[in-house]
Amino acid sequence: MKRKLRRSVVCWLVLSPLIVLVLFPYAVMVFTALKPTSEVMSYPPRWLPRHWSFASFPAMWEQADLGTAIMNSVVISCGSVCLALCVAVPAAYAVARLQFRLKPRYRLFLLVTQMLPPVLLILGLFRTAAAIPFGDGSLVNTRLGVILIYGAFQIAFSVWMLSAYFTAIPRDIEEAAWIDGCGRVRAVWHIFLPLAVPAIAVCALVAFVAGWNEYVVALTMLRDRDKQTVTLQVVNLVAGRYSVEWNQVMAATSVATLPVAVVFAALQRFLVKGLTLGAVK
Amino acid sequence: MVSAGQASEQGQPAALPRILPPFLRPARHGLPPLLLVLPSLLLATAIVVYPFFVIVRLSLSNVSPFGQLRGFVGWANYAAVLADPIFYGALWRTLIWTAAVVGGTVLISMPVALVLQQEFYGRAIARIVIMLPWALSLAMAAILWEWSFNADYGMINGVLRNLGLSSGAIHWMARADTAFPVEIGVGILVSIPFTATIFQGGLSSMPTEIYEAARVDGASGVQQFRYLTLPLLKPFIQIAIVLNVIYVFNSFPIIWVMTHGGPDNSTHILVTYAYELAFGLGRPGPAAAISVLMLAIVLAFTMVYLHLQREPT
Repeated sequence: MKRKLRRSVVCWLVLSPLIVLVLFPYAVMVFTALKPTSEVMSYPPRWLPRHWSFASFPAMWEQADLGTAIMNSVVISCGSVCLALCVAVPAAYAVARLQFRLKPRYRLFLLVTQMLPPVLLILGLFRTAAAIPFGDGSLVNTRLGVILIYGAFQIAFSVWMLSAYFTAIPRDIEEAAWIDGCGRVRAVWHIFLPLAVPAIAVCALVAFVAGWNEYVVALTMLRDRDKQTVTLQVVNLVAGRYSVEWNQVMAATSVATLPVAVVFAALQRFLVKGLTLGAVK
Repeated sequence: MVSAGQASEQGQPAALPRILPPFLRPARHGLPPLLLVLPSLLLATAIVVYPFFVIVRLSLSNVSPFGQLRGFVGWANYAAVLADPIFYGALWRTLIWTAAVVGGTVLISMPVALVLQQEFYGRAIARIVIMLPWALSLAMAAILWEWSFNADYGMINGVLRNLGLSSGAIHWMARADTAFPVEIGVGILVSIPFTATIFQGGLSSMPTEIYEAARVDGASGVQQFRYLTLPLLKPFIQIAIVLNVIYVFNSFPIIWVMTHGGPDNSTHILVTYAYELAFGLGRPGPAAAISVLMLAIVLAFTMVYLHLQREPT
């Protein structure tokens, strides 16, 4: 017991510099957000506000039109999650369960798409979207365009992770269902998929967070303010401004990041497990 | 691929599979694998592969600032890029940026993963805290650090003053020789969670018996790390390095948000410079050329690295 205590102290001491650095910006964010405007630009800077104030929250909510922005982020992230899962789940099932001649090639293809990140292709993505007619104009400046891009760039990771999980689900359960006269498609639907729900949920979480946090594609594709995502709106509060209302920026950043951080913290154990499974394969 | 005869046992019409091309023929139980893979293949081709060819074509064309193609110009865009002094500065900085961020990340993540693998009080909390930057958008992290490093009102200068380490206001973001290292530090910090996770996966997959055997034989902790952990962890270190190099080499938001490549182009890396050329300065041709060069660099790195790693074994 005493040994464990001593080891705990050593472990925390080793980790403490990193933990301080990780928490530092969060602390700055929360405390700045709760300062009144007059205190933000006071010298020397203090950690805690002298007067706690929530005034920056409603102010930035107006400034950044955060309600609309959150709505856009939710629509875009959910849309891209659905798209990615719809194409990745069947593909991952095929990779995990079925034998086909082109499987090694397919895996190589996924690997290659991983090496082409959106930021490298952004000019090509922009031109491709501009060439596709949609509504009055093109896919540029539409949420659908961004959904398609996010979804497509999630495919490789999703297939990789899902297939690792799917391989870990015992085959016997499905095979027992076939013997009982259940067709393969029905066995997948009624037996396999319910068992795969946790894996699919983790995958959805990763894709959702990726969409919520993405910056370059949103910056390039979404021109109108009423279509922009939270991340983009918050950066716009800082970028290219002559005077920045830092307490409002920090309030907006809090609203944009804390929910994601909480969900992520709650589910990170599953994420680590999933990546571990994938890495071992 | 399973023969059509077996498919008929499952109540499939036997004649149908035989006339289909092999890749569409149902596998044993009626699900043609390529049909399952096809949607992902189509989507990825349309949105990842096709734009790549668009960029290659742009890089070989004369492109107006508004994006109209005005004919094939061969290597002119590449020549323009190679004659541009800012490009060389950005290239050099990209190499430093990638090497420093990936190197720093791996060096820090290793002990962090080793510690997180120990059993100690509050481990679950430590894990959550160290994973937190993963949930944070890079653009947001950049904003938070930009404010923390603010010369007059930022908490970094405040803390340094309180510790007696500096007296005046350091203008971190105003000069490249302070701004760029700060950006590298932020890059390392946000890359640690992913890397430490890969290492933890590697560590937890290791057999515990060999450590017991080593302990019985009197191997010290350092010896165990040097001769057991490190060699067994090698494949995971390789994966971490390759993936991190690809991510970090192409990392855009930190530098774009914190300094926008400035002051005076002195913190641009290739990816931010290419974006500036394409969307800020209206020179899509050279921007596309840089994108193609970047891809060539990443590809060359991955091949050479994987090749070198395979040699000794």
